[in-house]
Amino acid sequence: MEQPIELHLYSKDASLIRGQPTCVVFPQDAAEVAEVVKLAERHGSPIVARGAGTGLAAGASPTEGGIVLVTTAMNEIDIDPENRTAWVGAGVINLDLSKAAQPFGLHFAPDPSSQSACTIGGNVANNSGGPHCLAEGSTTSHVLGMEVVLAGGDIAILGGQAPDPSGLDLKGLIVGSEGTLGVVTRALVRLLPIEPDVRTLLMSFDTVRDAAQTVSDVIAAGLVPAALEMMDRRMCEVVENWLEAGLPIESEAILLTEVVGETDGVVSQAGVIADIARLNKATDVEIAETPEHRAILWKARKSAFGAIAQLAPDYYLHDAVVPRTRLVETMEAVYAIADRYGLTMANVFHAGDGNLHPLIAFDASDEEANRIVHQAGEEIVAACLRVGGALSGEHGIGVEKRDLMPTNFSDLDLDAQARLKEVFDPVGVFNPHKVLPTGSRCFDFGGVRREVPEGVWV
Amino acid sequence: MTYHPAHISWLEVEIPGAPESAFHLAPKTIRDVEAILRHATEKGLVVQVWGGGTHSGYGNPVPPDFVMSMERMADVEVWEPDDLTIVVGSGARIETVEAMLVERNQSLALSERPGDATIGGVIAAGISGLRRGRLYPTRERVLEVTMVTGDGRLIRSGGRVVKNVTGYDLHRLAVGAFGSLGVIVSVCLKLWPTPPGAATVLVDDLEQASAIVRPLAVLEVDGQLMVYLQGTEAEIEAQTTQLGGKATPGLDWPPDPTGAWQWSLRVPPAVTTQAVARLPDGWSHLAILAVGEVRAASDSEDGAEGLRSWAEAVGGSLVVTGGDSSVFDPWGTPPPGLELQKRLIAEFDPGRVINPGRLPGGI
Repeated sequence: MEQPIELHLYSKDASLIRGQPTCVVFPQDAAEVAEVVKLAERHGSPIVARGAGTGLAAGASPTEGGIVLVTTAMNEIDIDPENRTAWVGAGVINLDLSKAAQPFGLHFAPDPSSQSACTIGGNVANNSGGPHCLAEGSTTSHVLGMEVVLAGGDIAILGGQAPDPSGLDLKGLIVGSEGTLGVVTRALVRLLPIEPDVRTLLMSFDTVRDAAQTVSDVIAAGLVPAALEMMDRRMCEVVENWLEAGLPIESEAILLTEVVGETDGVVSQAGVIADIARLNKATDVEIAETPEHRAILWKARKSAFGAIAQLAPDYYLHDAVVPRTRLVETMEAVYAIADRYGLTMANVFHAGDGNLHPLIAFDASDEEANRIVHQAGEEIVAACLRVGGALSGEHGIGVEKRDLMPTNFSDLDLDAQARLKEVFDPVGVFNPHKVLPTGSRCFDFGGVRREVPEGVWV
Repeated sequence: MTYHPAHISWLEVEIPGAPESAFHLAPKTIRDVEAILRHATEKGLVVQVWGGGTHSGYGNPVPPDFVMSMERMADVEVWEPDDLTIVVGSGARIETVEAMLVERNQSLALSERPGDATIGGVIAAGISGLRRGRLYPTRERVLEVTMVTGDGRLIRSGGRVVKNVTGYDLHRLAVGAFGSLGVIVSVCLKLWPTPPGAATVLVDDLEQASAIVRPLAVLEVDGQLMVYLQGTEAEIEAQTTQLGGKATPGLDWPPDPTGAWQWSLRVPPAVTTQAVARLPDGWSHLAILAVGEVRAASDSEDGAEGLRSWAEAVGGSLVVTGGDSSVFDPWGTPPPGLELQKRLIAEFDPGRVINPGRLPGGI
């Protein structure tokens, strides 16, 4: 692909940060990827792997130029119902995998909001989450093995269907590494049985504080629902405006929660959660009775980011995560920051995990707005880290949060991560200048600083 | 005994069960661990890290110059019951921590019959509990690891939150790494709430067991199948009726099989029963169905070679978790990526002083 307009289409992901690809390739399999890797190493060209480009942290934006390697041609699904696993091409769309597994009574647990577009390769790269990873864990908990193209174009199969593969868990390290250690071409994933019964609850509150307290209390009561999500009033308004899902727009906050399992279990768990909500002054507790009602509620939740376009052309989003016991005070701090800067903010997030998604709507073409929004964003992250939180719960670091890494880690921590990157990618072709800020490896620990060849990223 | 420096001599202890030829010590602080490991790297001394000694026979044998017990670094630093997380020193005994957690109906879900096992030991050896099929293996419990590298650097990975993609997952890599990246000094773990109802149900066959879609565990011990259930009391009552079979309240976990040799046979879940059928005569076993892990014990290593060949051919492995590793190779065929693993370890333990050679491939 070499037409400027075509290249432009691959110049960024769903973040605000753009790069300029030298070329775009669509390899069919690991052998072709290996050829691309060898070529890139020979010419010192970056390789940026890309699935559907739904990433929010610029992990798939070719900010250093080079080759954008699009995985969509690697799209085979091979389900093994007996072992409840599947070998899945990196380019397979998340929802297509669950659809293919459905006839076997199985599904793939990670369900990012972008699941109808995002790819398994992207999920693996970002260790993606989604509403339903509260009880079942993020993508890393569901990747048992992988086919990966490493430095030198070496193709390796790591992990497998048997538990506890011997030796260091390299596959686990590659999950979530945002394409900086190699290119995953196929993943062996765990599939879970579809639960026999489900209850979805929609709970409304007059204050965000009451909703956040309900989340804390549900976890404290020893319940781990399948999902526990919060949307604030502004978010409900924009979604409702577009979808008419029946969200209560007069409430300051809603919680959407789901319990799964055998019927007796879900009925009693739903009852306990409803009681906790009422104790926290819920104004309404509604239990979705039909699959259609359930589906529209989840559609409302997962469409939130798209619906925000009504407010402004762009949005800036953080996904810091905090201990669930600190949700109430953190939310208050986040609203206070937005108020202070006079920003339009909406919140929709994985409350059960403590994973916030404060979303600021603005016009990115306005430079001053850009500056203010980023300033506010940094303050929000700082507020989250102050209560013992972490930078990113599921979207990844990419370029967007890269330079905030030193707020989360010590020099020695970052140095250790940079050493790891060097081991996997000695030439520095795999998505360079992502995740780790420049200078991470410069920390000099009691020895001689090593000589580094010119042009190699350290 | 001439090699130990005066400034760490006051950490000297006696560690029951540890190799007597080596010097024994027990650091009290992270600074101690840093000093000890720096010293070891400078002098090229081999360190065996010691928890409860329950997995000391697992992996290639490593004759140590000294044994470092983590017993004095066992404090619970933070327990946030309402967040379902705990930060604890690696030397803490699992049993001790569980006794505390039970007050709030919570569990580490790391091991059902831990004995003397410590949290750090189970993580370093990568051992998972019998509930791993439903509650996920040990690696999914570990939210944060603080460790000291072989050359004495203090590093931290992960965080004290239940969901986190900030940076590389060194904390997950530390699970099953036998300390090759560093000595784990403390960890943050995700806890699991313990529902009020539980039952152990004896059933006749796998078809009967499959009436419940996601039980806590299905085990088979020397021919007897058991389904473990946990949930609300109403739920457990309904499920035991649905299953049929003889139900007893509570979770009655079997002990691991015992013998001169202990084995872990790991195969794709669907061939677990085939794996059991292939165990040589006289081997006792405990199989975790739907997971593919079979724990076995025997008086000799006869028949193990053939079993290993079969296991490796179906994509699994047979490893020795206790026994005489000088007689029978504990790991079998090394995994792919050995060279990468070696180079990775070299960045964390350049003098290769922590458990050198213990991992597959003698790395």
